[in-house]
Amino acid sequence: MGSRLEANSAKSRQRIEKHRFENEEGEEYEPSNFGGFTDYFRRKKIKLQNLDAELRSSASANPPIFRGVVAHVNGYTQPSLNDLHALIVTHGGGFMQYLDGKTTVTHIIASNLTPKKKIEFHKYRIAKPAWIVESVAAGRLLPWNAYRVVDEGAGQQILGFDNGNVISQASTQKVGYKDQTDTSWYTGQVQSVAKILDERQSPPSDPEAQSSNTQTFPHSEVASPIKSTNRPVEYELSQEDDTGAFGQGEIDQVSERSFKEVEVTLDEVKVPIVTARQAEPVTARQAEPVTARQAEPVTARQAEPVAARKAEPVTVRQAEPTRDPKGQTNHHNDDDTSVTLLKPSINNDTLLTVPEGQDSKSPCTLSAEEHNALLLKDPRVWKSTVANPGFLKQYYEESRLHHLSTWKADLKSQLQALATEKTSSQRTRVKRTPGARRYVLHVDFDSFFAAVSLKKHPQYVDKPVVIAHGGGSGSEIASCNYPARKFGIKNGMWMKHAQKLCPELKVLPYDFKAYESASRSFYEAIMDTGGLVQSVSVDEALVDVTPICVEAGGHDGKGIHEGSIWREQETADSIALAIREKVKNLTGCDVSVGIGGNILLAKLALRKAKPAGQYHVKPEQVLDFVGAVTVQELPGVAYSIGGKLEEIGVKYVKDVREVTKERLMTTLGPKTGQKIWDYSRGIDHVEVGEQVLRKSVSAEVNWGIRFVTQEQADEFVQSMCEELHKRLMNERVKGQQLTMKIMRRAADAPLDPPKHLGHGKCDTFNKSLVLGVATNDKNILAREALSIMHGWGFSPGELRGLGVQMTKLEPLRGSAENPVASSQKRLQFQTFSPQTGSLPLTTSHDHIDSPQKPKRSVQHPAAAYASQISPSGKRRSQVNTLGTQFVMPSQVDPQVLAELPSDIRAKIKSNEYQGAKNHSDKPRGYSRPASPSSTADNLPTHSQLDQETLEALPEDVRAEILQFYQRSPRKPNTQTLLPQSPHKNRSVNIATKSTTPTKKRTGLLLYGKGHGKSNAASSSTLTQSNFVANRTVTAQVREGDGVAADDDEVSQEFLAALPEDIRREVVDQQRRNRLKKRGGLDLAASYSKKRSGRKEGQTSAGQRRLQLLARPAKPTFTARKLSALPDLREAMKSWVEEFQTEAPFTDDVDALRSYLIKVILEEQNMSKAVAVTRWLEWLVEDIGEPDKMTGWRSAIARIEDGIQEAVKERGLGRLDL
Amino acid sequence: MATYTADAPVLDNYHAVVSAFSDFLTVAIHTILYERDIYPRSSFLAARKFNCPVRQSRHPKVCKWIQDAVAAVEVEMLKVRVDICKVVLCDVSVVISAGGDNLCTLSNVSLVIHAPPPSSAPLERFLFSTAAFPSLPSSEVLTPFNGSPPPAADLPEQFRATISRLSTLSSALSPLPPDCSFTLVTELRDDADIHPPLAPDTPWLAAEPHLQKQRKRNESEAQPGSTRGKDLGGVKTTPIRNVESGAFVMEMWVEEGKAKFEG
Repeated sequence: MGSRLEANSAKSRQRIEKHRFENEEGEEYEPSNFGGFTDYFRRKKIKLQNLDAELRSSASANPPIFRGVVAHVNGYTQPSLNDLHALIVTHGGGFMQYLDGKTTVTHIIASNLTPKKKIEFHKYRIAKPAWIVESVAAGRLLPWNAYRVVDEGAGQQILGFDNGNVISQASTQKVGYKDQTDTSWYTGQVQSVAKILDERQSPPSDPEAQSSNTQTFPHSEVASPIKSTNRPVEYELSQEDDTGAFGQGEIDQVSERSFKEVEVTLDEVKVPIVTARQAEPVTARQAEPVTARQAEPVTARQAEPVAARKAEPVTVRQAEPTRDPKGQTNHHNDDDTSVTLLKPSINNDTLLTVPEGQDSKSPCTLSAEEHNALLLKDPRVWKSTVANPGFLKQYYEESRLHHLSTWKADLKSQLQALATEKTSSQRTRVKRTPGARRYVLHVDFDSFFAAVSLKKHPQYVDKPVVIAHGGGSGSEIASCNYPARKFGIKNGMWMKHAQKLCPELKVLPYDFKAYESASRSFYEAIMDTGGLVQSVSVDEALVDVTPICVEAGGHDGKGIHEGSIWREQETADSIALAIREKVKNLTGCDVSVGIGGNILLAKLALRKAKPAGQYHVKPEQVLDFVGAVTVQELPGVAYSIGGKLEEIGVKYVKDVREVTKERLMTTLGPKTGQKIWDYSRGIDHVEVGEQVLRKSVSAEVNWGIRFVTQEQADEFVQSMCEELHKRLMNERVKGQQLTMKIMRRAADAPLDPPKHLGHGKCDTFNKSLVLGVATNDKNILAREALSIMHGWGFSPGELRGLGVQMTKLEPLRGSAENPVASSQKRLQFQTFSPQTGSLPLTTSHDHIDSPQKPKRSVQHPAAAYASQISPSGKRRSQVNTLGTQFVMPSQVDPQVLAELPSDIRAKIKSNEYQGAKNHSDKPRGYSRPASPSSTADNLPTHSQLDQETLEALPEDVRAEILQFYQRSPRKPNTQTLLPQSPHKNRSVNIATKSTTPTKKRTGLLLYGKGHGKSNAASSSTLTQSNFVANRTVTAQVREGDGVAADDDEVSQEFLAALPEDIRREVVDQQRRNRLKKRGGLDLAASYSKKRSGRKEGQTSAGQRRLQLLARPAKPTFTARKLSALPDLREAMKSWVEEFQTEAPFTDDVDALRSYLIKVILEEQNMSKAVAVTRWLEWLVEDIGEPDKMTGWRSAIARIEDGIQEAVKERGLGRLDL
Repeated sequence: MATYTADAPVLDNYHAVVSAFSDFLTVAIHTILYERDIYPRSSFLAARKFNCPVRQSRHPKVCKWIQDAVAAVEVEMLKVRVDICKVVLCDVSVVISAGGDNLCTLSNVSLVIHAPPPSSAPLERFLFSTAAFPSLPSSEVLTPFNGSPPPAADLPEQFRATISRLSTLSSALSPLPPDCSFTLVTELRDDADIHPPLAPDTPWLAAEPHLQKQRKRNESEAQPGSTRGKDLGGVKTTPIRNVESGAFVMEMWVEEGKAKFEG
């Protein structure tokens, strides 16, 4: 807020403060003039201030807490404008009824602002009415920040102080009228009255109600200090002067004094704090973190929460020992003597007295690590925490949940084996026509563990019985029978709670052996039905009995056929009954069966069937049946999804049908939304027996995690990763994404959680990391997991749970011994035979002379060269060598060569040598390195690219190479210059070209169009090569044929770029060449045949050239055969000069006329004719003497006439002469 | 100058000649469109071609149209035979003509500028006559020429001269009405065995009758241009320039149509 606000509001504040009201004699009490509204209004405001002044002076007993505040109330508020006005003014504040400008007041009080005002006012101090009320209640001015109406917007992180920790929290300002009604003054009053009434009826147990009673101010909700301690500290520490904490962002208001205060406490260290705590909890708590920080600067992060938290229960217990919930948990921990099957029994009393005693003596010094160290002194505890090296092994061996899951997995595999054995044709039977009725049975034991265990203890059958590790309050209930459920006991409940609900509860231990045998017989019974079985759990299975039922129905199971549906349903019911009876016989336990048209319906039906019954959802009942269910009862829907659905007004499944699918999808996400939408209509696409693909493998431990040092934590993470690795191997998968999950003790959780060595209340942190390559290597996993964990920098003592998870799984291929290596993608390299590898580059000679050579000798030189250079067969290097080969100069300056490193020199030398060999018959001096023909000869032509090599290359590389050829400035040479035709004419041609290689690439893109095409097309002149010269010059034949033979390896891409007819020719040529090469055909014969059709004569060198038809000779003028325009002009000039004085001869004029006609008609050069005529005209006009010009003029007219005639003869309009 | 010679294409086979031609045609069309104010002058970009400042439409559709049209002409020329290229504004169309031995088909290409819609009469025809291009069987398109037509080192210079001639032409031509359109028209050689590329998959349309020469299919002795469209030739002809370089021999002129003087 700018200085303007300060300045203006200070002004009005001073004005109000100075305002004195003596009597009604003032100017403001004079009558207003007619039309003097402004005057009237000014007076009105003064009079209102007069009222305030009087009110203020009359209430001088109240503390002037609002001194310096000038407030304005906007809109509807609770309490009302009047009340607020009175509160502010009687407590020393100023009040403005009329807002002359936003800056004239210091604060604006509003419950809610219109969106527009929110924008307009958002730089001003807008506070809720509660600020006034609570400040008055607190007897001091609370910082208004906690009562902001306009915040920085949702999601804006704000700084806050939470028990001495600077925390960053999302702004969670509630917007709307609900806020107003919930926290309103009136509601508070009503609630407090209600509470008072409640308390009269029942003894006081609720601390808040209690405290509200004790409040002198009736607005208990907002004013209760206890309540306020639960809030973020911001306003609890309001009075800037005597607190050491910041309000939300209100740093400017925290005066320097507060810092000083903090420094003072720092100096005083611990002792005064203890006393302070006893005296006043609030300040103690603020001071403590500071001292802790000061005491041990390095371990500050661990130390401070401990101190802060330790303090809390103690102080509260001192104040209200029986009511504090945290105190209670601490107490019951003391009673907890959990003795279980799996954990060693521990006497918690001994454990907890130690830290607690410590706590009471010197609470500030105990860090989480130290606490853990103390804890681990007990060998039994040590054994059952991660400090024990064998912990993980033991953990997985003893964990009940782990046992169950592995058991289920085993069972599943056994079942699968059994099922395939029994019904080998099961798969085929699954196929069903769409729209056919289906019958799915969901079979489930009624309270499996309890029922099985009760068989051994029949005396308890009618009593409430639970299965748990033991009677200790810390054990969880694994299963409970129906009598127990009547007490409200549920599976997964804690024993403590259950015992509260039902004191005479009987606890039975697990009996895994019995469970296993019961489960086995259960599955036997199910398998006997002959349906398709899917195991859901040890005591739960889905059976698809459709085929059996349809068979019984005697119809195709699709349409309605007399009684068939009824018969089918009857069969399904009887199957269910049979299962129930059989299981009852085998195990003595009840099972329930739900029957429905799909898994969803079967599962829902099962709910209705329990206990010990069966229920069949008939197709016609589906909608009603499903609709009556609450959404949370749907499989796969629980609090989270249920809560989201409730937000959009959905409680029952039938409500879902009112919601559009799109809405569901946006609320729940596309997949879940679709699923819920389907479910609400009784649709479930999942098939029985469909195995859900495993998406993740994880290892997680959140019990017994108590580290003392970082090394322990690291070691443990490593062993977790080993475990994960083991599991990944079991699943024969590897993953790409590693997720590390860390549970850290929540800041406000006690060092010892309610459950012995459990994780208690925790903050959970997850971090994922995508590995580049799927892996299951434990070292990699451990390294990454550790780096993630270190990235958070949690103190080891704070850790309560660790988990590593692998997602983005992909199946492992290859042998189990070397899975990583075999599943690694490998490039497939082409192997070159050693013979070709040793072939020198010069092999391009002699294909034709020895066509009977074994094929591998025909191996392309480029490939051979490549393999020579890179025997490792790396593809990339092949490409590179090709690349360098292109640019490698064939004839190198020896001086330059000498300067080069030896290996490069060797390479060039070998190349050179080959080049020399190539041209041994026509040696050239090194002094002509730029000789175009020699470079042309040495460049690997396009054709020298081996098709196979080319194809083996990656797509992009191949394209690059081809492009290189297309762009290569030397390309025209290689194309036009065939080695056996060192034709003079051509080499001239080439010379000009090779010096101007960039021509086609300059200029605008637009105009450059078609060049590529023309290049590509012109390159195919290669195909025009012939073999006439072969017979005469042998060496050249060889080489030429080498090149020509390679033509057939012209790439498809290249061919495709050619025009149709040329392509055909190229292909023909290729075929011929191939045949020739293979069969060693008589060259001459094929040659003569091939050429016979051609009209053009062969040049002596054998290159076929096109002799253009001679264009008709240009018509010429006079005996001097003038044709060029300058010559003509010259002639005209001399002619006119000659005959300046007289008229020209008619013959001459006619001659010129007929010449120009010929120029137009034969030479087709109108512009020349026009130019000549104009020139003549100009010359004539230049004579200047009118009488002499007449002759010339008529001559010119005649000539023009002739020209016009000629133009007309060409079918054109008149020329403008 | 060296830069020009660096630019010079080597016209040593028919294909090179054709690509030089289409290259030039593209530039010429852009220049004509600019000079004749077919499109607003601000929609043209100054560019350099043949070492000469030229104007290039920067409207992508215009550019595309021109490119496509020129490409179609190029295809036809490689088929081979355009008699004269005339440019008419609207769509690419073919003027049927007759006669000769070989297969290169186009005798000219013309850019025809039409009056605005109701009449759509051709006002100006810019003709690029390629009748003097070598006439070859299509299989010989890429065969190098024998020595006689020397490579055209001065071709870019000639093009430059032509373009600058085009850009000063506006003064010689009477102004056009606003909102004219244009078409590219090609005319086939008057050879008997030349058939218009009017198959449904070609980009070509038959030109309007008044822009067509017609021949009777069976009268091989028919006079070339025996029945001529009334708008062929026009009223007034202004020669532009001839380009002669090796095998590249082209005459260019502008015809102004009757409609221009009547209106």
